[in-house]
Amino acid sequence: MCVALPGKVLKIDGRRATVDFSGNTVEADAGLVPVKPGDNVLVHAGCILQVLSQNENDSLRSLFRELEEL
Amino acid sequence: MKITMAHGSGGESTSELIADIFEKSFNDPVLSKMEDSAVLPGAGRIAVTTDSFVVTPLFFPGGDIGRLCVCGTVNDLLMSGADPEYLTCGFILEEGADTEDLRKIAVSMSRTAREAGVRIVAGDTKVVEGSGGVYINTAGVGFVPDGINVGASNCREGDAVLLSGSLGDHHAAILSKRMGIENTIVSDCAPLVGMVDAMKRSGVRIHAMRDVTRGGLATILNEFASAAVCRIGLDESKIPVSPQVRGFCGILGLDPLDMGNEGKMVAVVAPEDAERAVGCMRKSRYGKNAAVIGRVEAEGESAVLLKTPIGGTRVVGPLYGEGLPRIC
Amino acid sequence: MTDVRPFLKNYDGPPVRLMEVCGTHTAAISKNGIARMLSPAIRLISGPGCPVCVTVTAYIDRLVELSLRPGTVVLTFGDLMRVPGGRMSLNDAKAAGGNVRMVYSPMDALRLAESDPKNTYVFAAVGFETTSAVYAALLEDAESERIGNLKLLTSLKIMPPVIDWVCRNQGGVDGFIAPGHVSVITGCKIYQPLAERYGIPFVVAGFEGGQLLDAIYALVKLRGRPRVMNLYPSAVRENGNEEARRAIRRYFEPCAAAWRGMGTIPGSGLMLRKEYSRFDAGSAGLDEDCNFSPGCLCAKVLTGAISPADCPRFGRLCTPQTPQGACMVSQEGSCYNYYISGRGSK
Repeated sequence: MCVALPGKVLKIDGRRATVDFSGNTVEADAGLVPVKPGDNVLVHAGCILQVLSQNENDSLRSLFRELEEL
Repeated sequence: MKITMAHGSGGESTSELIADIFEKSFNDPVLSKMEDSAVLPGAGRIAVTTDSFVVTPLFFPGGDIGRLCVCGTVNDLLMSGADPEYLTCGFILEEGADTEDLRKIAVSMSRTAREAGVRIVAGDTKVVEGSGGVYINTAGVGFVPDGINVGASNCREGDAVLLSGSLGDHHAAILSKRMGIENTIVSDCAPLVGMVDAMKRSGVRIHAMRDVTRGGLATILNEFASAAVCRIGLDESKIPVSPQVRGFCGILGLDPLDMGNEGKMVAVVAPEDAERAVGCMRKSRYGKNAAVIGRVEAEGESAVLLKTPIGGTRVVGPLYGEGLPRIC
Repeated sequence: MTDVRPFLKNYDGPPVRLMEVCGTHTAAISKNGIARMLSPAIRLISGPGCPVCVTVTAYIDRLVELSLRPGTVVLTFGDLMRVPGGRMSLNDAKAAGGNVRMVYSPMDALRLAESDPKNTYVFAAVGFETTSAVYAALLEDAESERIGNLKLLTSLKIMPPVIDWVCRNQGGVDGFIAPGHVSVITGCKIYQPLAERYGIPFVVAGFEGGQLLDAIYALVKLRGRPRVMNLYPSAVRENGNEEARRAIRRYFEPCAAAWRGMGTIPGSGLMLRKEYSRFDAGSAGLDEDCNFSPGCLCAKVLTGAISPADCPRFGRLCTPQTPQGACMVSQEGSCYNYYISGRGSK
């Protein structure tokens, strides 16, 4: 029920965004998150819930280092 | 009990309906084998099959109901080891159906029949009240050469399981239009004559074959596992699915293993012939993504297991419930 | 990054029981076949994370009633259609002539309602915080487009109180795989008080196989520590999505909610605020839960008290083809997922 999928914003028109999922284009609501074309976003039930950030490898690496030392 | 949409899905509910009502009433040993066509003695062995086509829309990316009704029946004959020869077709037309559309459908049927090397030799037309719908039944006749014995119960330990190409294309093409999802997925509706002929001519020992239609790969492999009482092991990373179809499935929460195709087949072959068989498929017009996707691992228990890309294991069951309506 | 698979397969430390509380996590765990990759000392239990499974029969009964009322159309996610109420499911209602339509997004409701002003459209609004944000966005649009024939029948739930309930009334959980997409909305700080109160770790996980394995690894490593760790930072920020929470607060307020297997938990649900009662299709008081099938043990499975395989009907009387209760009907239900991933058998 919390199925959400990452996609790429192609264009915005007011509250509606056109989002691409591996070649499938769908309209989604962009009212809850400020987005711009090119953003990678998380879409749940037809609504954009978050802009996905791309550079999290460093923070994940340091968390894993912490775990390994336990 | 009332007929529900689930009875038409091609999965468990359909099998139960067939067993409970039709199989019991008709009480015929060949019918009860539930192969894709009935192989009968006669002048040589005659294979007979029938199928009805109720797809909407009538024209979809990659095909139309005309191409579909020829391919579906031709492929069913092929899957039982027969060389397809003749088709009949019966039309039930609702008032309001467009004659120009019918012409396009008929031309498509003729073209596809020519490609498949079959003749349409009999037909019928009926009209009923309604709003323009078109329904077509095709029955097919073919001949099974001596020495050919193809059937689900023939799967043996060690056999290779082959899939001729990517899953879900037809299903996704039809559903995309209905759900308003834009993409360039096209139906893979195609006759598999070339591919099967190539394998036979190469001497591939084919133990079982089935085309992947409603109910998907999951349903078919479970039918094999059940008929042969064997355990089939699959490798998910080897199962071809196009990125667009995968994305489509992600959006709707569908599993490609449950989705229907109209131009893909599964073949269970002797292990020594696997590479040759894949080669035949890949060289043929509709098999460029063919792959070995698994093996018959053991006899004695009936199961289909899948190794996941991260190295886990899960059971693959047949499609439960409704699947999706009117895709073929 | 570390390959955690050997550690998980070979772990022979003290037994660890981990619970996921998100139905989508339950489904992802089974789809990836994770259970069979773990040492027997690591046990995964499914908790009350499937919003369809925890919805009481009174709610389904009201939807059935609405669907059979002339001039009313019920819109719903697919999963809810097969769940049995006290008498019927929505599928049964549809077969009996009821007006029920399946949609993939609540946003579809706007266009449907707008194009058919003669009928009232009622959306079966179930879900957790993730979907509540979408319902809030839906209402914002309905207001701005002045759509007057759209209503919600709500059965909205929130996570922290039910996690607290499980810890308080059941215990035996050594760590939680914290929900991934709920946390996108709420942020991950909300788990800190729970971690401290019960002295157990919470790890926010993504939905891919590798991400789930990483989270299980982290929870085993963090056993006994009141730590909250976010292993899904691409989507989950510490403070979540404040705009989404603001939208939810605008239309909804916390309330007591009835959960199958747990009774009424104060503050565990969301309901429409009084000033938006024109959008309410009569959601209050739908608390009763009766067993569609006497002897059904869904209530115990939902809280993780028993595993699906412990239910005598599992795999025999109760299968995905012949489901006896919500846990087997829903694609996010524990029983359904155990069945299809082969967890209930050898």
